[in-house]
Amino acid sequence: MADRKAKLSTSKVNVKLTSDLGRISFVVGACMLGFVFLVFLISVFYTPYNPNMTDASNILKAPSFEHLFGTDHLGRDVLSRIMSASKYTIFVSFAGIAIALVLGMLMGLTAGYWGGIYDKAIMLLSNSIMCFPGILLALVAVAVFGSSMLNVVFALGIVFSPSFARVLRTGTIAISNREYILHAKILKVNPFRIMVVHILPNLLTALIPAVVIGLANMTLFESAMSFLGLGVQPPAASYGKMLSDAQSYVTTSPWLIVFPAFMLILYILGLYFISEGVRICTSRGGTIE
Amino acid sequence: MNKSSSKSVNIIEIKDFSLCFPSKTEGMKPVLNKLNLSIKRGSIFGVIGNSGCGKTMTAMSIASLLPKEASIQGGDILFNGQSLLSMDPHSRRLLLGDKIGVIFQEPMSALDPLMRIEAALGEVLISHGVKDKNEIRSKIMEMLKVVGFKNPDAILNRYPHQLSGGQRQRILIAGAALLKPSLLICDEPTSALDTVTTISILELLRSMSISMGITMLFISHDLNVVGCFCDYVAVMKDGAIIEKGITSRVLRSPQTPYTLSLLRKSRLDNVLSNDFFLKPNYSETPLLEVSNMSSGYDGRLFSRQKHANVIHDISFKMYPKEVLGVIGGSGCGKTTLAKTICGLLTPTAGTMLLNDVIIGVVFQDPASCLNPSHNILWHLLEPLKAKKIKLSKLETRELLIATMKEVNLKPSYLLRYPHQLSGGQRQRVAIAMCLILKPKLIIADEPFSSLDASSAANVLSLLSSINHKYNTAILLISHNLHIVSKVASRVMVMDSGTIVESGQLSEVFASPSSQAAKDLLEAERKLNSNPNALS
Amino acid sequence: MRENLKFILTKAVEFILTLLVVSFFTFAAFSILPGDTASVILGPEATPEQIDSLRQELGLDKPVVEQYLNWLAGTFSGNLGQSTAFNVPVSSLIAQRLPVTLGMCALALIIVIGVSYPMAILSSRKPFHLADQVFSIIGHIAFAIPPFVLSLLLILLFSNLFGYFAVGQYYAPTDNFGGYLNSLLLPSVCIAIPKIAMIFKFLRSSIITEKASDYIKTSKAHGLSDFSILIRHVLPNTNVSAITVVSIVLSDIIGGSLIVEQVFNLPGLGRLLLMGISRRDFPLLSGMVFYLALATVIIYFVADILNNLVDPRMRLK
Repeated sequence: MADRKAKLSTSKVNVKLTSDLGRISFVVGACMLGFVFLVFLISVFYTPYNPNMTDASNILKAPSFEHLFGTDHLGRDVLSRIMSASKYTIFVSFAGIAIALVLGMLMGLTAGYWGGIYDKAIMLLSNSIMCFPGILLALVAVAVFGSSMLNVVFALGIVFSPSFARVLRTGTIAISNREYILHAKILKVNPFRIMVVHILPNLLTALIPAVVIGLANMTLFESAMSFLGLGVQPPAASYGKMLSDAQSYVTTSPWLIVFPAFMLILYILGLYFISEGVRICTSRGGTIE
Repeated sequence: MNKSSSKSVNIIEIKDFSLCFPSKTEGMKPVLNKLNLSIKRGSIFGVIGNSGCGKTMTAMSIASLLPKEASIQGGDILFNGQSLLSMDPHSRRLLLGDKIGVIFQEPMSALDPLMRIEAALGEVLISHGVKDKNEIRSKIMEMLKVVGFKNPDAILNRYPHQLSGGQRQRILIAGAALLKPSLLICDEPTSALDTVTTISILELLRSMSISMGITMLFISHDLNVVGCFCDYVAVMKDGAIIEKGITSRVLRSPQTPYTLSLLRKSRLDNVLSNDFFLKPNYSETPLLEVSNMSSGYDGRLFSRQKHANVIHDISFKMYPKEVLGVIGGSGCGKTTLAKTICGLLTPTAGTMLLNDVIIGVVFQDPASCLNPSHNILWHLLEPLKAKKIKLSKLETRELLIATMKEVNLKPSYLLRYPHQLSGGQRQRVAIAMCLILKPKLIIADEPFSSLDASSAANVLSLLSSINHKYNTAILLISHNLHIVSKVASRVMVMDSGTIVESGQLSEVFASPSSQAAKDLLEAERKLNSNPNALS
Repeated sequence: MRENLKFILTKAVEFILTLLVVSFFTFAAFSILPGDTASVILGPEATPEQIDSLRQELGLDKPVVEQYLNWLAGTFSGNLGQSTAFNVPVSSLIAQRLPVTLGMCALALIIVIGVSYPMAILSSRKPFHLADQVFSIIGHIAFAIPPFVLSLLLILLFSNLFGYFAVGQYYAPTDNFGGYLNSLLLPSVCIAIPKIAMIFKFLRSSIITEKASDYIKTSKAHGLSDFSILIRHVLPNTNVSAITVVSIVLSDIIGGSLIVEQVFNLPGLGRLLLMGISRRDFPLLSGMVFYLALATVIIYFVADILNNLVDPRMRLK
């Protein structure tokens, strides 16, 4: 019996969905997201054609049975490119957010907990990062360091860290004076343990919507950068790049725009609905326990 | 609108009034059930009952401040003989502020933080047609004097956050009374205030009732307050009135068992059993010696304000096993003292000797004394981890179970989360967290104020058993003089950050020498007396 | 008065500090990190002597701190350096393109505020009823569409109205102000729509929260009409946090405009930026980045000061 108790984790995160509207929103979002993930998973094993294979005889063909989504200006199959591009969308958004979270936690939790001059210094740093319009900073980073996938991810991660830092800092300050944290301080628990084990789990309600929205925004940024030619390099496919290539053919070949736009919007909207679902549930008395 | 109807004896008559709210589970949930109530003109009428009984909804119905979802199922409310429910919304809205005034419970948030006081009060007059600025100002000044501000000029330009809770409530009263209403509805106006302030507000309301001829409807869950303030009282349960009459009669000899149980629950001295605490031996070495200590909060960067000292030059000693009571009005520095002793704040001056003593702390708010993201097991393991106490699994398990049993909680509760426990149970877990380290000194800062009488009695028993078993001394900070008088051996009175009086309990309470102590004891006495005792 | 002065002083110090940090980042990114600028400019065939003399000319042989201070001093006197790609002062290039970007941002901001405020007020009157649901759903979708995607889709849809919106044609404000506005209208709308959704959502929830506050109960008890309460109490309290959100949105709008002008072929700062990146024109890039960052710093601080003016709790502790 003692062993069982010792092995039982003492805290778990379990999103309890109590509100109807929230539940619907969450499910809808999850389906949308799930679809994109599914496309990605399938693309790992199978695409109808090689996404990078050009075919000069098949340029700008409208959707048909052979090419379900048509072909682009280099004869490449649009459907295959769409499937292949999903991995960039997913990878960049998740990796970027992971970096942003780590940086944000480092800055926000410590600034909120210790306060004083340290807090002001961190806030100065964080606010300075925020003073560069996101796209600008990412573009600059890529311009200076080169446009590889990793650089893009790092640049975007840095761009997004101030907003997480801010959310975490505000939450930490709000909780720091609650009695249970005072108890921990009196017991002289290690400050980092207090920040991560005592305070952080209580901030998840505020953090999760921010993370999900961050994922959505990061996708927007990445697609914007690819659109401008500074994201993934050709011949790799990314939704932004596909849209950029399609610019010249707006009126003649609308399928080149519609399908990438659709996937992009589906992903972002899916994330957004999930975030809304979580927000509605937790604000109407549901709990994250 | 301003019809002078024949002045009926009853300013308010509620007849068979029923009110419902739509609810997810039950369709239409009844809140008020054929309510019948008459309020005599010029009287102070109290309504008591537990939360959810419908007393606030009754008040809101009279004031036409019901939320949109509310649905009136039948009956009528007469004000001055005129039916409120058949009036058009515009006329009803104009009654508010003019003939009917309302004050609410939370003075801290009831004023717009962005508005100066003059503007906030002025809008009452402006919305009822008074246009002349000078007239507005003079009426406001006059009202501010009535509610007790000796220097109204200084207040006009202030913002709410620059005033105390008591001051804000006075301003709210001024706003409600500006147009000399015939009825003033008070919804728990003193629940958030301390005893001394409560008495002064009640005295103000009574004098206004007499001088301005205002009828008062006073809603409260606090039987003591209603007992000393209201002429008549009605007891509500589940949306209907089950007993009413003259206050002294209802509270002395209640006719219904429900009223009886309410009375029992509120009076702590009925519930306190024969708990007692050990008497200390003053010749032993003191556990805690504080000499000339000052403490407070850090000044802010970029600000010329230096360290803001809240407590100054405090000196006292605490001996093993003793229960030392600390009393004082709000803002006197009791909590700062507690925080300094347990190490959260560093003293800016003076010394504090703790003689290698393990301290346990119990705070006020059972809602936030436990971390919502972790279960009770985690809470009890943390102190052990923090103090690096290493025990085998078997020893840990036994210690946990023993501790839980000591605070009268089932060991199966270990797996529960805070939100699955009641306030009293949470407070007991907080004590268990102290207990597990076997402290020699427990600092308890207002541990009873958020609990109902039976939970408070449980907590008190627990503290008493700890005091016996482990010879633990207790520093008890409380504004509840009742409890302090039953358990403390010595008591210290604090005011404005210093100790103004200290000594054996019996001496201080029998013949207080400091003004602060006198005020406190006087307020306490008035609270436990008859309505006529209030001047 | 004393508190106000102390407050302004604090804010001024913060402003200067932020500016210093921002300028240092910019300087570091473009001058220190990329390595030897001189050899980059002259290319791989340059002789060491040529590289050295160019270095001296550009002042790159001086210690880093001195370079930084020189650069900083130059920046504040309007001299952002010489563009290596175009061989004209950076500041003139920026000035040339400014009307486009400025116009788009200003127009977008006006559209955002002008549309989202009334929408939010209408929605909050009857939460979850018809108007609110409709607005919310439209808002949700609008929020998810990136501006450049939106512009492409709109061009697709309105290709019949090509002529009406003068896509692709741009008139300078001094030549033809009406045409100027016309050409900026569609792009501004594209930038504005996602932001409208964002601000609408925020304002709506903020208004609903304020309406449920205790002090609103007091005002109702004083007999004020719903409209008076909205104007006197709800909106001012909402504005406190709205100012911060709007400032963030403005920063996003600047970023968005840089992208949208690609689609609409407008000669704004975005194109300049991209050209600088492709030609590795570091003086141009550092000048532009600093300029845009400076604009953002100023926006945030104006917002901060406005915020504190509106909310006395922050000003007078």
